[in-house]
Amino acid sequence: MRDVAIIGVGMIPFGRRDEDSLMEMLAYASLKALDDAGLGDKTVDAVYVGNMGGGVIQHQTSIASSLVDRLNLLPAAAETVENGPASGGSAVKNGLLAVASGYFDSVLVVGGEKMREVTGWRATDFVATLTHPQAEYPYGITLPGMAGMFTRLYMEKYGVTREHLLAVSLKNQEMGALNPYAHVEMTLDRNGIFDSPHAVVNNPVAADPLHLYDLCPVSDGAAAIVICPLEMAKKLSKLPVLIAGFGQATDTHTLQEREDPTDLKAVTLAAQHALEMAKLKPADIHVAELHDAFTILEIAESEHVGFFKKGEGGKAAAAGKTRLGGQIPINVSGGLKARGHPVGATGVAQIVDLTWQLRHELPKHRQVKNAQNGLSVNFGGFGNNVLSFVLRRVEQ
Amino acid sequence: MKKEIGIVAYQCKQCGKLHYPFHDRCLGCRGREFEKIAPVGHAKLLTFTRIYNLPWGFDQRYLILGVAEFENGVKAMGQINADEKTPLQVGMVMEPSWEPVRVQAGENVYGLKLTPLS
Amino acid sequence: MPIDLELEAVLRPTQYPMATYPPKVITLANGKKMVIRQASREDVPAILKSVHPCLFIERDYYDIVSARLYGELLAWYRYRVKSEYCLMGQVDGYLVGVVNGRLEDEKVGMSYHTLAIDRGLRIGSHLFAAKMEYHMEYLNQDAVLIVAESPIGFRRWMIEYPLEKTTIPHELGGGDSYRLTREIYLAAKPRLVVGDRPVSQELMDEACADIKFADDDTIRERIAGLKGR
Repeated sequence: MRDVAIIGVGMIPFGRRDEDSLMEMLAYASLKALDDAGLGDKTVDAVYVGNMGGGVIQHQTSIASSLVDRLNLLPAAAETVENGPASGGSAVKNGLLAVASGYFDSVLVVGGEKMREVTGWRATDFVATLTHPQAEYPYGITLPGMAGMFTRLYMEKYGVTREHLLAVSLKNQEMGALNPYAHVEMTLDRNGIFDSPHAVVNNPVAADPLHLYDLCPVSDGAAAIVICPLEMAKKLSKLPVLIAGFGQATDTHTLQEREDPTDLKAVTLAAQHALEMAKLKPADIHVAELHDAFTILEIAESEHVGFFKKGEGGKAAAAGKTRLGGQIPINVSGGLKARGHPVGATGVAQIVDLTWQLRHELPKHRQVKNAQNGLSVNFGGFGNNVLSFVLRRVEQ
Repeated sequence: MKKEIGIVAYQCKQCGKLHYPFHDRCLGCRGREFEKIAPVGHAKLLTFTRIYNLPWGFDQRYLILGVAEFENGVKAMGQINADEKTPLQVGMVMEPSWEPVRVQAGENVYGLKLTPLS
Repeated sequence: MPIDLELEAVLRPTQYPMATYPPKVITLANGKKMVIRQASREDVPAILKSVHPCLFIERDYYDIVSARLYGELLAWYRYRVKSEYCLMGQVDGYLVGVVNGRLEDEKVGMSYHTLAIDRGLRIGSHLFAAKMEYHMEYLNQDAVLIVAESPIGFRRWMIEYPLEKTTIPHELGGGDSYRLTREIYLAAKPRLVVGDRPVSQELMDEACADIKFADDDTIRERIAGLKGR
């Protein structure tokens, strides 16, 4: 299997993008990545598009086929990849394997979603379609609802508190406000969303014990990467970033069938495989993009990937260990919480942000000093299909 | 007349592992033969949440959902019959029933409802 | 413009006596303080300047809400509407939101509109709640009739309070009205109505100096750009 490197990345600002169709967003992000890779007037061998909701929300299928035509990437092989909120991660994995196998030399991976085309409650219903069709969906369960039930158990087992969740929320919003690609560019004030009695309106309960600001927003957006064999990358790019490892694992569909519903086995396994492949340990990671659709998930994932012992992640967040400049900066981009979560785009956007970090391309107030290794977790379903990637800076 | 709980659980004939919902192959031993088991008795609340911002199809302000375990080990999600101020806690014993949980295409959809016993 | 007071006596409706809304201050999610206070008739020209750019924003029904609000405030200014009031939300002196309504009679209020100029901070929710507080607790009314143009407003209020459905037509010809009763208000109050009184002198002085409003482009960006939630 060949080593695979990232030679181009691009994304568009996430948010509410009424003026742009899904195809437009995918195209814009793709062109940015192609230009970044120096392939602005060339084609690629294959295209993988991560998208969860095109068929449901936009009533459009075969999105990858449409995109290659739109961008004139003909006659590239092309597929749309759907894996719920891990569609982006799965698209990256498929692209990676396609290059690693030796079958394709240049691959574009793009993830995108246009969720704001429908009202909030229809978007909520759309996301809920990933739950079990008989045992969960009919009851009106939502992803925040799944997260609420999980949070209750996690709090009871490990002593995570609302203060710990608050630390994640404040950190990620603060970093999102510095990120020009972030959906939410508003810093939160602890008093306004927690201490003050007015917080009952500012930060109402969403799915208890989670509140509004424990949840990521509903976003539109797209992100893209271009990958090729490392040896080719060294000739094409001054700053290739190696995809040093990946892992993917699944778990039971329903929360109730997990032996310990607080044990995110798929996260642990996926990250373990990725780190083993990269021949690294968690302590070797300098920057991480974890899937914080809900603040509890950043805490839980930080433990399950091995940055902190079980039960220590919340305290670590509250102590500032996951801030820029801390022991392990997590979600310096603002995470899903502030950068936003167009579900199909997220897994790719995490790779884009890590690539910028490892290229040392970001402004000082967002750059992890001398970052060499990065790790991402893209959490599909409610933890029943998880991907993890380890990226490494390649010194030329 | 009280409706029978419409949940069918599946016990693997090979290793005895209990499943709900259905799996074609046992989560324990990958066996394919199952005995159908009905949930028995009351249900103990394993976790719950009060959800505001409901999906399309629900017009109420909130819903309380939970996962509970029946006396014979069957676990299932259900809607909790309580208002938002009702004190709930993990471990509470619930009375299960089979009632409309939503309306789809003009028809009632039946599902598990859990009512706190005390 | 010449004013004929004899004709005005015919054209101007009688006004119910209305207690003043005592100002309050709310801490927003970003830590800023929003002062909610009652506008006077003399404030209307300045408020209209803030509302004006919203007339051309289709997003989220801002155009129709602004157009109707504009007309309502102008009607109040020109003495052509009965017992109307207007509450304003100000942050650092800047107008961030406006709500208005009127008294249908001594016991029943009519909620007009809610316009949030700064978004993502629940300003609309806070101002709408302040309106309901005014009707119920300071004007001592028993019920308020409410309609909505925007699905956001509809969802928030009809379901969050929740409001009762009626068959009373919307006075501007829209969908049927919903009703907030005193009983519903009091049950919803702990989770929807907040604010501290009295407002500090410093904040009041700032709010009561000129009403500041952002320029047209900034207002359009805040509404249509939708940065923040």
